[in-house]
Amino acid sequence: MADCLTLFTSIGLSEQKAKETLKNDALSSVLKDAITQVHQTHGASGVDKSMGVLLYNMASRLKDTKRVAFLADSIAQRKLCTELQLTAALDFVKSHPQDPINQKAFEEACGVGVVITPEQVEDAVESVIKKHKEQLLKERYHFNMGVLMGEARSALKWADGKVIKNEVDMQVLHLLGPKTEADLEKKSKPQKSKVAENDVKVKREEEVAVNGEVSTGEVKSLMEQLRGEALKFHKAGENFKTEGYVVTPNTMALLKKHLEITGGQIRTRFPPEPNGILHIGHAKAINFNFGYAKANSGICFLRYDDTNPEKEEEKYFTAIKDMVEWLGYTPYAVTHASDNFQQLYNLAVDLIRRGHAYVCHQKGEELKGHNAPPSPWRDRPIEESLVLFERMRKGLFAEGEATLRMKMVMEDGKMDPVAYRIKYTAHHRTGDEWCIYPTYDYTHCLCDSIENITHSLCTKEFQARRSSYYWLCNALDVYCPVQWEYGRLNLTYTVVSKRKIIKLVETGVVRDWDDPRLFTLTALRRRGFPPEAINNFCARVGVTVSQTTTEPHLLESCVRDVLNDTAPRVMAVLEPLKVTITNLPESSQSDVRVPDFPANEAKGSHTVPFTRTIFIEQSDFREVLEKGYKRLTPEQPVGLRHAGFVISVQKVLKDAQGKVLELEVSCCSSDAAEKPKAFIHWVSRPLVCEVRLYERLFQHKHPEDPSEVPNGFLSDINPNSLHVISSALVDTSVKGAKVFDKFQFERVGYFSLDPDSTADKLVFNRTVTLKEDPGKI
Amino acid sequence: MSARVLFRPTIQYNEEAEPEMRLKVGNLFPFSQCFISHEFPQLSGKKMGDPVSDYTARLQQQEHEIQSLSAEIESLKNPQNLSSTQRLDELREENARLKYRLNILKRSLQEESARCPKSMMNINQRLQEVFGEAIRASCPELDNPPLAVTPNQQAKFGDYQCNSAMAMAQMLKAKGIKVNPREIAEKIVQNLPDNELVEKTEIAGPGFINIHLKRTFVSKLLTNLLINGVQPPPLASRKRVVVDFSSPNIAKEMHVGHLRSTIIGDSMSRLFEFLGYDVVRLNHVGDWGTQFGMLIAHLQDKFPDYLTVSPPIQDLQAFYKESKKRFDEDEDFKKRAYQCVVKLQSKEPDFIKGWNLICDVSRKEFQKVYDCLGIQIIERGESFYQEMMMEVVKELEERGLLELDEGRKLLFVPGQSIPLTVVKSDGGYTYDTSDLAALRQRIYDEKADIIIYVTDSGQGTHFQVVFAAAQLIGWYDPQVTRVEHAGFGVVLGEDKKKFKTRSGDTVRLMDLLEEGLKRSMDKLQEKERDKVLSPEELTKAQRSVAFGCVKYADLSHNRINDYVFSFDKMLDDRGNTAAYLLYAYTRIRSIARLANIDEAALRKAAETTEVLLDHDKEWKLGKCILRFPEILQKILDDLLLHTLCDYLYELATTFTEFYDSCYCVEKDRKTGEVVKVNMWRMLLCEATAAIMAQGFDILGINPVQRM
Repeated sequence: MADCLTLFTSIGLSEQKAKETLKNDALSSVLKDAITQVHQTHGASGVDKSMGVLLYNMASRLKDTKRVAFLADSIAQRKLCTELQLTAALDFVKSHPQDPINQKAFEEACGVGVVITPEQVEDAVESVIKKHKEQLLKERYHFNMGVLMGEARSALKWADGKVIKNEVDMQVLHLLGPKTEADLEKKSKPQKSKVAENDVKVKREEEVAVNGEVSTGEVKSLMEQLRGEALKFHKAGENFKTEGYVVTPNTMALLKKHLEITGGQIRTRFPPEPNGILHIGHAKAINFNFGYAKANSGICFLRYDDTNPEKEEEKYFTAIKDMVEWLGYTPYAVTHASDNFQQLYNLAVDLIRRGHAYVCHQKGEELKGHNAPPSPWRDRPIEESLVLFERMRKGLFAEGEATLRMKMVMEDGKMDPVAYRIKYTAHHRTGDEWCIYPTYDYTHCLCDSIENITHSLCTKEFQARRSSYYWLCNALDVYCPVQWEYGRLNLTYTVVSKRKIIKLVETGVVRDWDDPRLFTLTALRRRGFPPEAINNFCARVGVTVSQTTTEPHLLESCVRDVLNDTAPRVMAVLEPLKVTITNLPESSQSDVRVPDFPANEAKGSHTVPFTRTIFIEQSDFREVLEKGYKRLTPEQPVGLRHAGFVISVQKVLKDAQGKVLELEVSCCSSDAAEKPKAFIHWVSRPLVCEVRLYERLFQHKHPEDPSEVPNGFLSDINPNSLHVISSALVDTSVKGAKVFDKFQFERVGYFSLDPDSTADKLVFNRTVTLKEDPGKI
Repeated sequence: MSARVLFRPTIQYNEEAEPEMRLKVGNLFPFSQCFISHEFPQLSGKKMGDPVSDYTARLQQQEHEIQSLSAEIESLKNPQNLSSTQRLDELREENARLKYRLNILKRSLQEESARCPKSMMNINQRLQEVFGEAIRASCPELDNPPLAVTPNQQAKFGDYQCNSAMAMAQMLKAKGIKVNPREIAEKIVQNLPDNELVEKTEIAGPGFINIHLKRTFVSKLLTNLLINGVQPPPLASRKRVVVDFSSPNIAKEMHVGHLRSTIIGDSMSRLFEFLGYDVVRLNHVGDWGTQFGMLIAHLQDKFPDYLTVSPPIQDLQAFYKESKKRFDEDEDFKKRAYQCVVKLQSKEPDFIKGWNLICDVSRKEFQKVYDCLGIQIIERGESFYQEMMMEVVKELEERGLLELDEGRKLLFVPGQSIPLTVVKSDGGYTYDTSDLAALRQRIYDEKADIIIYVTDSGQGTHFQVVFAAAQLIGWYDPQVTRVEHAGFGVVLGEDKKKFKTRSGDTVRLMDLLEEGLKRSMDKLQEKERDKVLSPEELTKAQRSVAFGCVKYADLSHNRINDYVFSFDKMLDDRGNTAAYLLYAYTRIRSIARLANIDEAALRKAAETTEVLLDHDKEWKLGKCILRFPEILQKILDDLLLHTLCDYLYELATTFTEFYDSCYCVEKDRKTGEVVKVNMWRMLLCEATAAIMAQGFDILGINPVQRM
């Protein structure tokens, strides 16, 4: 330790910095190697401060440690003297992962030996200033001097930045003279940019209004979110630039071939197991994979990971494709892992031949848990494994009597993951052709490789399998995609696992997989969530490496944003109170025009009848006026929305129990009357419909967490999660609406037409309330 | 399942056994668990002792069981209860998986046989597969329906016939089902799966199914045969075979009995080798025993410097007689002889050297015979098993299998009338001991899957007891390992009496073989072949005919019977003799040669020319050629090589029929120029010759191109 400390301070690190460095084992070891290397050239005392800084920066920035000696030597020989050169050098070694390094190309790329004279700097700066002279004179010191520096720098690639800055400062001073008062005044920058932002917003809304769709905007916004992490993604064919990517002697040739096939196009895939229904978590994966490809003019596959014959059912396949398309994405191609069974088998034989896999007879129980005993068959002869593997295929072993295992240790210490196991079960696509089926660990990366996927995006749980992913591709010398993991999307107040949803369905808590209280994608669709809103939500959550747990109201707010612009307004009364307008004649009927979007009447309107009998919400009338209550009371008139009338109570009709049955009111034109305190919605000659109101299915945030819900998620059901109103009244404009058509019931919420609707009776699901907290009066 | 449970109350069991019972019953019938769990209420924790309470308890328990079983029966009467048990679902699931696996296995089997397209197809076997499937589908109620498919001799009844229907009707009748065999035959025909070889079937008589093969199919197989050569049918696994044959005694002459063993054993080995087995040919020579003491003692007297100078023993037989005489007459010598035995057994170098010298003399003699007959064999005599005999005795003693009887140690094997004498009263071992040791060594060290002993039938009982003993000890399971004694009858002279020289001596083998050579040459000269053939060709032909005839005469008779040794018969070139077959073979070979068609042209023709089988004789010959694999399969099962001889003879006569009525080459009568070559017929000739050559090879006969 002390030695290292001395060593580090000897190159000019402060003691504190040196101590800090020592805490990082990897860095210290690299730095130590680097310094030792330099000592060979310069001796123990020959490292000056600037060399020391370069060494330190090199050590902390270099990913590929096998280049330490090479770069340290370059620094020692003063081939690399500046930060700029070091950056170029680091870039160079990153893009040339294979030996040998072409010394000449390296030196050219790093500007080794390039000498910049002060005269050159002077000339370069002079010509740049000359170019901008006019504007400089006009804007004086408000001119962005960075531009000058940048241009001068690009003219003299290897010049020292400081020298250029000094030269620019000097020449500018020479041109403009010292700063005046006006020069010191701040520009009104922020204000200006805000105006611009508003412009954009207005413009976007117009666009929406014109096209009636939001998709173009949404993809953009998704990509804005992606920018953070995804900008760091490698370009097609430059897989080796990704940290942790394993380079073998064949990598470069394979990447070249990969580039020839893909033409440099980005390729992603969404690879669900067809054994269940997609849920909100999958929406993120779909958006990420399809979105990233789309944003980069690439392609995205929908690949069913159908390697497990026992779990797959045809219905899942169609449901998954439906949902992907519902979210607005079209797969470049729909593929199946099972398409590759023969090729995968051939590769497995090859893997055995290469000595990387063997047939094992350990029982499943023996391998469970940690510290499973190593396989006694690990070192059996290759020939033997080849024969036995063939016998596995031919049905000579019973289930569990033999597996094919790969000779590798996973990140979590698991030894020799299984590649193939025996299952005497028919596969829905390959029928009775196979009785051995590949595992996820074996299949996934090879299917990615076969499809020439550039970015294999998956959730964090698979991080532990990344090394096996790379190992297998490299063990077989096939193209190796880059695996990149992101945090899974978790939503509170719900469960998404297949098993748990089955429980909920079985126990009758929910009606089916698409019960609108669930967060499966079919459920969300049924509830009326627009796909754009789900996509926006995924974009807002973003793709970060960290796990994210999100509250459903964020999703709901995305839904409101979309529906606000897309769901036409109608009026509906959930708990009706009959109102007779006495001062209208019996046969009176007029049409009232209601704009579909009051905020933008240009988007159209519809008419509803207005007659002597109307219905209002029971809650919009109170017999006793309370302070703050602005709607109808015997003393307080109220306006009827869109109708242009104000009504005043004349008589309250009650039953024997004193319950209000009906109101008799008089009305007058709102022009004539005093402006009422509030306007309420109403219906006249309405349609009777069923309305289903939903609340959260669970009472606790994390129903699966035993510390929160000790008796299991089934004990946490919210008894009020579904409220059915069987005879609500809705205005006639919804007549003829199709399933999943969405409306805003004014003042009540957003609603979507449920598939249960019949010609006689419409059924509406409340998608979301109008506001996040509907609790206020 | 239920039957086993119903009987259960009668089973006597004690407290310890009870929990296990409970477990079993619980597994089978989950709903009976509740009752089982409170059985023996007052017995738990109580020691057995009072018989009254004991029986009362048992009685009570049985009452309980009766109740529960009645309840079960009631519940079983309601089919709804049946459908809902978990166990049933599990069994259904398992059944589905087993069916799936069966299908995979069947396909693998097909794949396997399709993968060796080079190998010859056993048509009979293939037909059995096809008909087996149809039979099982027609009569699912029979567990093991008989499967009989045989080639037909008369062309009007088709090529093969399936005669299962009659036997099946019998079996059904025994089960109380009366069905007309013809109906069964019709059902079988209806159920025939898709196949590549059956052209049509017809039902004849009471229920015979006549099978007609597809001509294109037979033609295709012939083409395959011509292109790939004669290849053995596919082998399920490469088993290891030990063939124990020849096995003469050191210091004694080989006699005609050894000749039979040598010829038959060699041919069997060749058959196994051709079929792809891993064959170990073992010569179990008699090279150990008391007579060696006598021989060594005599050697010491006659050639005192035998350790340095190799003794010129020419006639070991005479040497043996001399020593035997002294042994019988001279007490001192006898004593010394016994001392020599002891010293030999304790491996004293001087004695071992003497023993080796004597053995070498014999070996040289044996080798002369083997060279004539072209026999390859590994000598592994009784001496090899000396140490192992001690181990065997030890093992038997430890297992308590030996019985003492007047100083002898006997091994009685149940079901066998004679015991094995494992140790003599003087402590020495016997043939029984050495054969046990050898068998053990062949099973455990050689890891043989098949072990065949070729000796005269007189030793049949001995081997039967040895094999039974080995199974008793647990050395092998006859279901897994095939151990067999292939016995043969004695060789008789033309007078039908024991084969002797005129002077009454046993015939020396070398003398016999030399006589064969002489008579073969006489025959060739009689036919004036010496004028046609070059001296080398003549010698070749002489040896081929002489040794071929000796072997063939032996092999062409059912080995179980005694056989009459007659040079006149075996050298006759008419009838089922090697002479006839060798002539037939050279004649076939000469057809192409005389038509100036070389091998390359024939090979090319095989690939391009379809083998036409339109003529009856072509069809008959074609089918006959393709029966080769089924003949070999049959011999593999019964080890009767005369079947192969009969087949080759049939092939040769069928060929003659064909050749007499189908022109292969048409020549201008006057000029003798070739006018036309019917190439497909040349191919039939070629295929016949190829099969014959392979047949000869298995019989150990060397055919010549010209004779």
